[in-house]
Amino acid sequence: MFLIDELIALLAANLILSQALGTSTMFIAADSKKNMLATSCIITIFTTLGSVGAYFIDSLLPDQLADLRLLLYTVIIGVLYVVMLTVSYYAGKGWFADFRKYIHVSAFNCAVMGTLFTISGKAAEDSSSFDLGWYISAGFEAGIGFVIAALLLAAAYRKLNSAKVPEAFRGFPAMLVYLGIISMAVYSLK
Amino acid sequence: MNSRKKALLGGVLGDNIVLSGLMVISPVIICGDTLKNAEALVYAFTALTFLSVLICSFVPERLPYTVKIILYAMISAVIYIPVKLAAQEFFPGVIERIGIYFPLLAVNSLIVFQTEARFFRMKRTDMAVSLIFCIIGFDAVMLITGVLRELFAYGTINNRIVDMNTVISGLSHPFGGFIFLGLMCGVYRFIRGLISKNNEVRSNADVSDR
Amino acid sequence: MLKKARKERLIWLDIMLTLLTLELMSYFYYGMRSVALAGVCMAVSVAAEFVSLRLMKRKFTADDLTCTSDALILALMFPAVMSYRVAAIAVLFAIIVAKNVFGGRINMIFSPAAAGYIFVLTSWGRQLLQYSEPYTKTGVFEKPAALVKSASYVFNTTRVFPHTDFEMLLGNFSGPSGSVSVLLLCVAAIVLMFRRSISAGAFIGTIFGTGFFAVVTPVLSSRAASLKYSLVLNMVLFSAIYIVSDVRVAPKKNYYAFFYGLFIGVISYVLVATGVKENAIIIVSVLFTPIALGFKNLEKKIEIAEKEHSEAIAAESTEGEGAAVSE
Repeated sequence: MFLIDELIALLAANLILSQALGTSTMFIAADSKKNMLATSCIITIFTTLGSVGAYFIDSLLPDQLADLRLLLYTVIIGVLYVVMLTVSYYAGKGWFADFRKYIHVSAFNCAVMGTLFTISGKAAEDSSSFDLGWYISAGFEAGIGFVIAALLLAAAYRKLNSAKVPEAFRGFPAMLVYLGIISMAVYSLK
Repeated sequence: MNSRKKALLGGVLGDNIVLSGLMVISPVIICGDTLKNAEALVYAFTALTFLSVLICSFVPERLPYTVKIILYAMISAVIYIPVKLAAQEFFPGVIERIGIYFPLLAVNSLIVFQTEARFFRMKRTDMAVSLIFCIIGFDAVMLITGVLRELFAYGTINNRIVDMNTVISGLSHPFGGFIFLGLMCGVYRFIRGLISKNNEVRSNADVSDR
Repeated sequence: MLKKARKERLIWLDIMLTLLTLELMSYFYYGMRSVALAGVCMAVSVAAEFVSLRLMKRKFTADDLTCTSDALILALMFPAVMSYRVAAIAVLFAIIVAKNVFGGRINMIFSPAAAGYIFVLTSWGRQLLQYSEPYTKTGVFEKPAALVKSASYVFNTTRVFPHTDFEMLLGNFSGPSGSVSVLLLCVAAIVLMFRRSISAGAFIGTIFGTGFFAVVTPVLSSRAASLKYSLVLNMVLFSAIYIVSDVRVAPKKNYYAFFYGLFIGVISYVLVATGVKENAIIIVSVLFTPIALGFKNLEKKIEIAEKEHSEAIAAESTEGEGAAVSE
């Protein structure tokens, strides 16, 4: 019972279903299992490691300079972006050729940056959440949320792009309506 | 319309960034539930995107792709600061209304990715025209979404009560945004399909006339 | 193809017959208001289906009348005193957004009735979950003076069900107009299962999942009572028949359909027991649509693999015969 409640809570806090963060990235990624898996994993790495950086920025940045937060988060993501490309380059040329595009797609998007801002906002509201462990787990949870939403979409991908769907709605519009109905069901559970 | 004109002016109808490219959709889905929010987002998006893309166009082309992407994002994050300060001065309440979606506009794909893939392949004047039409396209979708969702979800337009017997409050929620935008995309494509078919007929007729 | 179309029509006829019986019972308890509500829903569904098919450049055929069963399911899940306008909007949502946007009856993803119900729940939740008492017969355009919470809500919050078993069997307690007649629902389930008009696997899975959890983690001191009320209240039986076991949505093979139903049964029971979420099974059935689609994808892959395997065996045997002849 506890597990089911946790699953529902995870769905309800899902960054795509409740905040629409990273929806376009997910639509791009959902066209094949490989794309979806790779993009989801890399976004999870970005949100988890990015949240570590966000923790240090939030703890060091004085309130008067809060407007610099976006710039500093951008620097963190930029550093992570370069580090991940470098790591994949040294991991092997095949790896680099395979994963480069996923890293490019995953670095600067609403899913990653939105997660950092959401975590920061929650920590500002509730001071008991302000510790490194919470930031990391929240970042990881957001990444898992992306994976869950991508799986939900992947299950229906073939049907949503089928020739049976009216031409005007085939693809993205049908995906939006599909996610909307799933999001509506999640909302009604709250 | 020739292909150059299409590339320059298509951002509003032919290749709308929201309805056709599905870019910058999160703020439309989440914040586009009232006209006030839509106005706030229109201001933020217009100022951030126009200034960022124009300044980014001065980044040397020969730099590696990754470095350029990081620079674009950082330039846009720097521009965010005066835009936010101006918003606090001229549009009080704007920042609270759109919350985290204001800074997120700074890393929107039009600035970070489309600059490289689309705008910087054009001449600077063409780029400016194309950019303005892309921004107008976003603004139009945002305002239409804001007006219609506010009307159906709250029974008001710009906070003024309209005589509506039944309001669909679900439209104000994120799921309402998803469904509304999905339907709007479908209707846009349907209409675009009708128009482009008409164009084809007309061009065929032209050919036969000759 | 012709056989498939005929089967589809027969399924629709079976479903409609059982739904009309439930509608008759609803008329008996709530009068003409409930019949008028069903009529409005069905008329709107036909109009919506006709217009959307024309926009899709498809012909409206007799098979497209299946939309009326979705509309009737929706009408039976509403209180008899539901506003006609809201009911019409719900049907429009169910038929156009939850069904025809995805290609209509040939490419179903969600149960239209379930999606329509949740749509109403999110926008007009209060109106949806307030009912008139049985035998409160109102005119077509009148509204009863007093509305009450459903017996399911009372049970979920107080663990008290102030009705006899006989009243329960006949559906003589407050709740959605057509989904409380337990005896009729049991008969409908058996008939539809034997006529293969609903997915037997999904139905049994849902009932087993809910029942098993109701016995293992009972909400009352008596396990038998917990089992009884968990199956009867919160529209479990009605949804298990008409929503979860909808052959258009549930996995085709009973084996997979059983697990699909089982998950829905277990999770909806937990949500009702811990979160006091009235009629949670409908929400869970929509949330589990991706699982049904996943099972269907798996079924398709297995079918293809089996076909390839049998073709390979056939090719091997012909090669073997060819070799034997040449020898």
